Amino acid sequence: MINISRRTFTGFVGAAGALSALGLSGCGGGPRIVVVGGGFGGATAAKYVKRYLPSANVVLIDADKSHFTCPFSNTVIAGMNDMAFIERKFDALANKHGITVVTDLVVGIDPVSKAVKTKGGNTFNYDKLVVSPGIDLKWGALAGYDQAAAEIMPHAWKAGPQTMLLRKQIEAMPNGGVVAISAPGNPFRCPPGPYERASLIANYLKRNKPKSKILILDSKDAFAKDKLFKEGWEKMYDDIIEWVPAAKNGKVTRVDAKAGVLETDFEKIKPAVANVIPPQSAGAIAISTGLTDKSGFCPVNPNTFESTLVKDVFVIGDSCIAGDMPKSGYSASSQAKVAAGAIAAMVMGDKPAPMSAINTCYSLLAPDYGISVAGVYSVQDGKIAAIKGSGGVSPMGAPYQFRKKEADFAGGWYASISQDSWG
Amino acid sequence: MKRSLAAIPAILGLAILAAPAEAGPINVMADACSGCHGTDGQSVGAMPGFDAKAADAKSAAELKKLLRDYRSGAREATVMGRIAKGYTEAQLDAIVDHFKK
Ligand SMILES: Cc1cc2nc3c(=O)[nH]c(=O)nc-3n(C[C@H](O)[C@H](O)[C@H](O)COP(=O)(O)OP(=O)(O)OC[C@H]3O[C@@H](n4cnc5c(N)ncnc54)[C@H](O)[C@@H]3O)c2cc1C
Repeated sequence: MINISRRTFTGFVGAAGALSALGLSGCGGGPRIVVVGGGFGGATAAKYVKRYLPSANVVLIDADKSHFTCPFSNTVIAGMNDMAFIERKFDALANKHGITVVTDLVVGIDPVSKAVKTKGGNTFNYDKLVVSPGIDLKWGALAGYDQAAAEIMPHAWKAGPQTMLLRKQIEAMPNGGVVAISAPGNPFRCPPGPYERASLIANYLKRNKPKSKILILDSKDAFAKDKLFKEGWEKMYDDIIEWVPAAKNGKVTRVDAKAGVLETDFEKIKPAVANVIPPQSAGAIAISTGLTDKSGFCPVNPNTFESTLVKDVFVIGDSCIAGDMPKSGYSASSQAKVAAGAIAAMVMGDKPAPMSAINTCYSLLAPDYGISVAGVYSVQDGKIAAIKGSGGVSPMGAPYQFRKKEADFAGGWYASISQDSWG
Repeated sequence: MKRSLAAIPAILGLAILAAPAEAGPINVMADACSGCHGTDGQSVGAMPGFDAKAADAKSAAELKKLLRDYRSGAREATVMGRIAKGYTEAQLDAIVDHFKK
């Protein structure tokens, strides 16, 4: 009788619901929490909802049997790791944490009947819903870049077959070929990602195809950790990487994939390999559910990550608008804990704790050369903002040992966050 | 919590049958650290862990001192200084207490 209070969610499902749930189905009568997406945000949310609210019936739905992480996918592209290294399975979430894992594509969310519908024809009712579908690519936003073009000029901005496609193209390229990377304007998933990718491909080329070059065609004039990247490039890849900012007509305005051509306002470039990272939006399911505003991303209550547009739906990760927090795996996972805490508190009739989150992102310039950016966040004046005096990037001019240590920590970060999210 | 309990006395009995394990404490501020240091501080890689099994296991008092030194800059760091500065000393202490409970 004593320990049941906080898990007595029968108020939620009602007496009838509790009764039927206590039938022979084996399900408890706890609150029904459904999570869409098993990436950094969704996996962490499912695990931490269960930690904070053990009576919850947590259902995690992902379109795929396992999740390939974007973090460390640049090391796969550069031939340093294989796909198995970045594959995360859902077994521990199911077996260790008692989460119901469903492999299916969510095709519809009805916020009125509070139901999630899948392509496979199943319906999952929820009391609270977490949506963490990552990004989708805005096909056509860059003229000529559609799904068919992506099979020729991979984006590799969602890890999976695209990752291997880009790697194979680079491996097949002759010594002396040019790899062009088209980087998008803000906001986009993983602001330092294109530059880490350029660095690690350069590392591969230096060892295997030393006459080759990398051209970064940028839609911006500045980018995350840019001074640190440029410092490292000067040391290691001065004759390999060339960065062309928007001000020097770096912005790609059109692609002709069949002809293998990237166009800027002034030039047509025909590289051996073209990696086109196009403009992005929230995941398609967030758009079709009406969770996005005209920015293409999802406005949320900064304290809880509940959508400001649809009640009882929490949007986390790349899909949400999270103030100063960058779109990163660490951010997604930290936001997931805030949302999980808020959901648990709301279900128990408590007030959610104040929002508190961290982001720490490492970028590798070489296997033994890492740099980082970090931030600690709270809600200030109604917005998620970095706490003054905290955070920032690695120091300039640091000795080799420092960069090496950060590279080791990058690997340590990846191991730990993989465990924290999926383990 | 008490409120929700009182609101549903009639169906209390049913809930007991389905009574699950005790809920963990909700500590969103502390759990944010687990992204690098592992769930409950059980780091599995190169990041320092702070659970009892950690190779370099430290006492709560040692950890509190360490974090305060990172915060003040008295101790050099790669990234922990930048992160520790995002918290008050009292918050850092509370985070340690959470992991060392
Ligand atoms: C090259 C690259 C390198 C990166 N490196 C880092 C790094 O070092 N550190 C870092 O912190 N971040 C990094 N990131 C960013 C990181 O990958 C994202 O920020 C993070 O994945 C966001 O998490 P999420 O939960 O929002 O989305 P995701 O992790 O993308 O998860 C979304 C999941 O939802 C599923 N899904 C989507 N729609 C549906 C649907 N309708 N039905 C069912 N399932 C669905 C997908 O299958 C997917 O598994 C990198 C990104 C890139 C591209």
